[in-house]
Amino acid sequence: MSELLTRHRFTVEEYHRMGEAGILPEDNRLELIYGDIVVREPIGAYHAGTVDRLNRLWTSRLGERAIVRVQNPVQFRREDSELQPDIMLLRPREDFYTTSHPQAADVLLLIEVADTTLRLDRRVKIPLYARVGVREVWLVDLTTARLEVHREPLGDRYGDVRVLARGERVAPEAFPDLSLDVAELIG
Amino acid sequence: MGKLLTRRRFTVDEYHRMGETGILPDDSRIELICGDIVLREPIGAYHAGTVRRLTRLFASRLGDRAIVSVQNPVQFAQEDTELQPDVTLLRPHDDFYTTRHPEAADVLLLIEVADTTLRLDRRVKIPLYARVGVQEVWLLDLTTQRLEVHREPLGNRYGSVRILGRGQRVSPDAFPDFSVDVADLIQ
Repeated sequence: MSELLTRHRFTVEEYHRMGEAGILPEDNRLELIYGDIVVREPIGAYHAGTVDRLNRLWTSRLGERAIVRVQNPVQFRREDSELQPDIMLLRPREDFYTTSHPQAADVLLLIEVADTTLRLDRRVKIPLYARVGVREVWLVDLTTARLEVHREPLGDRYGDVRVLARGERVAPEAFPDLSLDVAELIG
Repeated sequence: MGKLLTRRRFTVDEYHRMGETGILPDDSRIELICGDIVLREPIGAYHAGTVRRLTRLFASRLGDRAIVSVQNPVQFAQEDTELQPDVTLLRPHDDFYTTRHPEAADVLLLIEVADTTLRLDRRVKIPLYARVGVQEVWLLDLTTQRLEVHREPLGNRYGSVRILGRGQRVSPDAFPDFSVDVADLIQ
């Protein structure tokens, strides 16, 4: 049915005005992806606990070198998208992005924790992150206990993708001194 | 991508509030179909002229027996749907439905003129009209110069479908005395 219909593509601005007008309930399970307002999957315990582990890991190690943002919005206006990635390391900003949501250029590292959402993350979100130029994305795949490191955004994909397992070490490009074992991420 | 994402379904009420608050443009080319806000195809001259012919035919011959409504909204709230069929014959109503939009039970005959929209009409709209109980739908297929007469809504489809060509006559179930040659509908 969907290919027969052309849906109205909502802009980031329209999406926010719907919230302000009370048309969309205050619901942090919604996201805007390519102009579609979508409902996120409920978050399971393994996923949620992993996000909390990552939050503590980065907050304790980075201090003030980055802002650790957890399941909060990032805007990609030209793709009519506003997502809430699991974890983002953002460029420090004195106002903590209270006056405007971060955009792709503010993101030093974006991490998605994937269990039931693996196909969505891989087929929709990572290509979107590449397209808007998020420089580095880590996909923590809880189903295989692997970490996918995506770098060098190039069109709809990343030019450099590495898959790592427990016992292997990796550091974000933005923080080469912060090397971690994959086991610390997945538990 | 479609099946990976669950789109937020909008209700008829939310759809109208988007119009009232100016979030959606005042645009008669927008419809709400099963919770999705969709853009209608631009209307070609052959399609538009045929709608005008039908309008005159029904308005002149039915007089006060029905309200002839042209490309105006009909609401099916339980399906999160508000469409603007090409022509609907509505039960007479003193206020001409100025205080509320007509619903399925108000529709005596619904006519869609199809050219580029044939697949959409056949695969999406007619099953929807059946599901909400529109008693009779005529699909005027400009590509084959045939009239499809759909009656007896039954679940997602109509139990009685007849295909008529020029030279054959048909009457709406609601107006058995009003008989018209298919050639008078398509020129």
